[in-house]
Amino acid sequence: MTMSTHSNFSSVPRYAGRCLLWLALLLAMVPIVFLVITSLKPEGVTRTVPPTWVFHPTIENYSSVLSTGAGSSVTFGRLLFNSAAVSVGTVILTIAVAVPAAYGLTLREFRRSKGVSSWILSTYMFPPIVAVIPLFIIAGSIGMTDRYPVLIIPYAAFNLPIAIWILRNSLHSIPVEVQEAALVDGANRPQIMWHILAPLLMPAVATAAIITLILAWNEFLLALSLTRAAAKTSPVGVQEFTGLYGTQWGNLTAASCMIAAPIVICVLILRRRVVSGLAFGAVK
Amino acid sequence: MNDHMISRRRFLSYAGAAGAVAGTAAISGCTLGVPGDTHITESGRPSGLRALYATVEANAAAVQSVLPAFREAFGFDLTLDTQPYNALQQKVFSELATRSPYYDIIIVDTPWAPTLTRVLEPMSKYLRDPKLNQLADPAINDFVPKAFYDAGVFKIDDPTAHYPEPEAAPNIDQITAKGFEVLGLPIQTNVLMMGYRKDIFDNPNEQAAFRQQHGRPLAVPDTLDDLVTVGRFFTRPEQRLYGTTLMGGVGDWSTCDFKSYLAAFGGDGHLLSDDLHMAFDSPAGVQALQFMRDLVDKYNIVPPGSESASWDDTASMFDGGLTVMSSNYHTFELSDTVRGGQIAYAVVPKGSSQGPHFGSYMLSINKYSRFKEWAYQAITWITGAQQQMTMVQKELHPTRTSVYEKASADSGLTEKYGNFYSALGKSLNVGVGRPRLTNYTEVSHDIAVQVNNAVAGRISPQTALTAAVTDVRDTLRKADYTVPST
Amino acid sequence: MTSQTGIAPPGTRDQLAPGDRIKPLAPQRALERRGRSIGWALLAPAMILLLLMTVGPAIFLIYSSLHNIQMFGGASGFVGLRNFQELLTDATFLHSLLVTLAFVVIAVGIELIVGLALALALAPKTRANGVAATLLLLPFAVTPVVSAMVFKQLLDPNYGWVNYYLSKVGLLPGQMDWLANPSTAWIALVALDIWQWTPFVALIILAGRQTLPQEVFEAASVDGSRPWQTFRYITLPMLAPFLAIAVVLRSIQAFKTFDSFQVLTGGGPGDSTEIINLGIYRTALQSFQVGAASAVGLVFLLILSALVPLLLRVVGRNAEPEKG
Repeated sequence: MTMSTHSNFSSVPRYAGRCLLWLALLLAMVPIVFLVITSLKPEGVTRTVPPTWVFHPTIENYSSVLSTGAGSSVTFGRLLFNSAAVSVGTVILTIAVAVPAAYGLTLREFRRSKGVSSWILSTYMFPPIVAVIPLFIIAGSIGMTDRYPVLIIPYAAFNLPIAIWILRNSLHSIPVEVQEAALVDGANRPQIMWHILAPLLMPAVATAAIITLILAWNEFLLALSLTRAAAKTSPVGVQEFTGLYGTQWGNLTAASCMIAAPIVICVLILRRRVVSGLAFGAVK
Repeated sequence: MNDHMISRRRFLSYAGAAGAVAGTAAISGCTLGVPGDTHITESGRPSGLRALYATVEANAAAVQSVLPAFREAFGFDLTLDTQPYNALQQKVFSELATRSPYYDIIIVDTPWAPTLTRVLEPMSKYLRDPKLNQLADPAINDFVPKAFYDAGVFKIDDPTAHYPEPEAAPNIDQITAKGFEVLGLPIQTNVLMMGYRKDIFDNPNEQAAFRQQHGRPLAVPDTLDDLVTVGRFFTRPEQRLYGTTLMGGVGDWSTCDFKSYLAAFGGDGHLLSDDLHMAFDSPAGVQALQFMRDLVDKYNIVPPGSESASWDDTASMFDGGLTVMSSNYHTFELSDTVRGGQIAYAVVPKGSSQGPHFGSYMLSINKYSRFKEWAYQAITWITGAQQQMTMVQKELHPTRTSVYEKASADSGLTEKYGNFYSALGKSLNVGVGRPRLTNYTEVSHDIAVQVNNAVAGRISPQTALTAAVTDVRDTLRKADYTVPST
Repeated sequence: MTSQTGIAPPGTRDQLAPGDRIKPLAPQRALERRGRSIGWALLAPAMILLLLMTVGPAIFLIYSSLHNIQMFGGASGFVGLRNFQELLTDATFLHSLLVTLAFVVIAVGIELIVGLALALALAPKTRANGVAATLLLLPFAVTPVVSAMVFKQLLDPNYGWVNYYLSKVGLLPGQMDWLANPSTAWIALVALDIWQWTPFVALIILAGRQTLPQEVFEAASVDGSRPWQTFRYITLPMLAPFLAIAVVLRSIQAFKTFDSFQVLTGGGPGDSTEIINLGIYRTALQSFQVGAASAVGLVFLLILSALVPLLLRVVGRNAEPEKG
């Protein structure tokens, strides 16, 4: 009932298709492999022809990055912490606001839903580059520069449309009969949301959460403009390894791997939740 | 039913934990003071000063090495926040645009200064105040005049004007008498210089082969013709070796390369004159672009990738042993794959004339700082002769004549960096700066695009220059400059 | 039933009682009104947040586009529509608009097709698929600036893996400078975008695919529907709303692309990859010509607002999902 073994294609093309799929995935891993391998190379063999595959792996790049970074006033560990605080804060704010909003948009009685959802989508079009200047002027004048909320609130606002649309479309695919059955049973809206819809929404919430987490974690432009030292996030820190005058490839890739690692771990955790949360069909 | 109850609960517990972490972090971010909150202490001194600085472009490591000595001299700490170039520009501009007092000292690169003349604190009144010159003697007459004037001497309300006597030893009374003001003291000068592989040039086999081919000894090229000859001699694609490099990609670097070649062919390396004539559109300009194209196409002495190369790329090429010569604005450092390599430096080859590009970073006082007088003293201390001599050990490019003389004679430095400092000093003497425009970035981009088109051979040099003229005039007009009609 | 489960809140008792079939008209309207006001209440936090982050900057945008803003001393003057006039007569701006549009169409088009294929292939919940899906997310997780730099390194004519291995196999003529020719530079940029963003598209479609009720598919196979028929007449229409959001969201994001172009080409060779955001960045954040930059931003925003409904209509009525 739960596992979809349904396949769209018959055996031979399917086999070829799976081969193609794995080939494509492996190819897509090449840049990742480059990142990881280069981070373990001593600086002398990071750029050679032919590329060096046999070398003495070293963790000196990682240790050099972790010790006070590239001569900056903020340690790399602090950068990671800031990124975590800002990203997790953004995810929580985004989901907390998006779920009710998505539900509100699906209420049959809510006449304006089409207009409002179009408006929400239009806010997504706002180019962040142009928003930077007014944002840092405002942040500066209320003294919020270099504090977490100054990043969390814009990030949540910029990611809200995605989250709302994902959740809304998931809600729409839940048959209305389920809600109506609950209404007939005498439940009110909050109870419907909590007991019935929330579990069914888990995969969509997990998807929206992962996407928001990644986008907030990797955001650079606003982070650069709105922070100085206290709230500086890791993308801003990692680009300090790339001066105009040559890149320290070992350090840069090591830093990048360390920045990507928390995301990968989160993805691994969340993906299992998605799978377990799917162990059902529409409740009969 | 139980399944999703559990999964929801567990999900919620994760969310709760994450929320707790985020909440604590957010709250602590809100309530904890910003690190290094500065204020006046009872002694009347600030508790600390903050500076916004570059990274490797201005040798932050060198400045950081003198910070302990700073603490000893002043009794409080100077904190350095560093950013690489593009990010630095954005930060400098946004801090000054919002009139933030956060940074007391701000580093300013020459092309940014014309826009910022009104938000940098003029230094003349501090230079004249004997009380403020106790901790360190500014001795501005010791600064290399060209670097000093180009970096920091401006007319506040007419930033386009260059100081009329760029060779005169700086004197504050003369400067103010001419209507100019000192907006910062230079900390690092960057000049286009040639670096070459001394080990390869000294190699007896190479010398013999060259003498046989050309009937004269192998020497570091002095003229552009020499450059081509020597470059061709060394270009051996099968051995993955090329003569020299070229920064042909779209970016400020190609504008800088172009203006250097422009000057080498007799043109005005400033690109635009003070009254905004398009000086680059000239026979010398055509020759310069043609030469750059020829390096790629006719003489073939630059490696593949030169048509899209930047500062970073050409440095990597030389550092990796791909080329025998290169030009750049800092010391090279051969990678570990190159064994037995040695680097020496020289002034860039000349044509009928010479004018390698140069620019400087200066330290300025933030007009909105709360500790301007202390910032001034910190700046004079850091740029002082003694500190510069210490920082030179960490590759700082000095800005004082006395320091150049000492550095060139210092055997320890010669051992580490070869003849870098004497070559730097000589290059600085013939260096040519940029035009002073508030939108230099955009003008530079207009030119770079056409330089790139010409270097790649998509259009002819004259077409490129004509196109550049049209774009630059347009860009200047939009920034409210009055451009002369011819 | 309410008394048995005990979950009936006080309010509904008046309207619903066991045994009632059709509700009388007046209480139904009351329920509707409550539904509307609840709807607004549910949406309030989202709308406040969005209004805050868009209306404020939008006002600033409009104000500054009509002025010549001097951020560093000097007087800002009202210049009316001058910034717009300059902009719309500027050939470079129109050119960069075309470049941006072309990029979005090509990149998003390819990402949609590849993303759909991936999502369908990974829909069955097998272990292998779980691993594949996790691997798939990796490109999306790497910071965009870093990805761009890695791609640049891989494409380096002298040291890059791509040139080295492809020329060994004989597919490429030795040391090719990808970023020196407009066409190959485009290929590199589009490839980077596809690598980084197809996971995003695939994820959205996958999320949609996994919320589709399985009974429909089972019924179809019981009915003897062949795989291609199932795909064309059942899967595709049911996925349409998700395809629509994926396309719309991805397109809007693609218009905002900046990092990859900045790092890989800087707008070059020549100005063949000069997308709008590069120009805005230069004007806004390097020259700080705020007035001119705001005008560009505003025009860009207006163009997007016109394009997106067009896009929605092209994708079809399915953009507004049927309710139930």
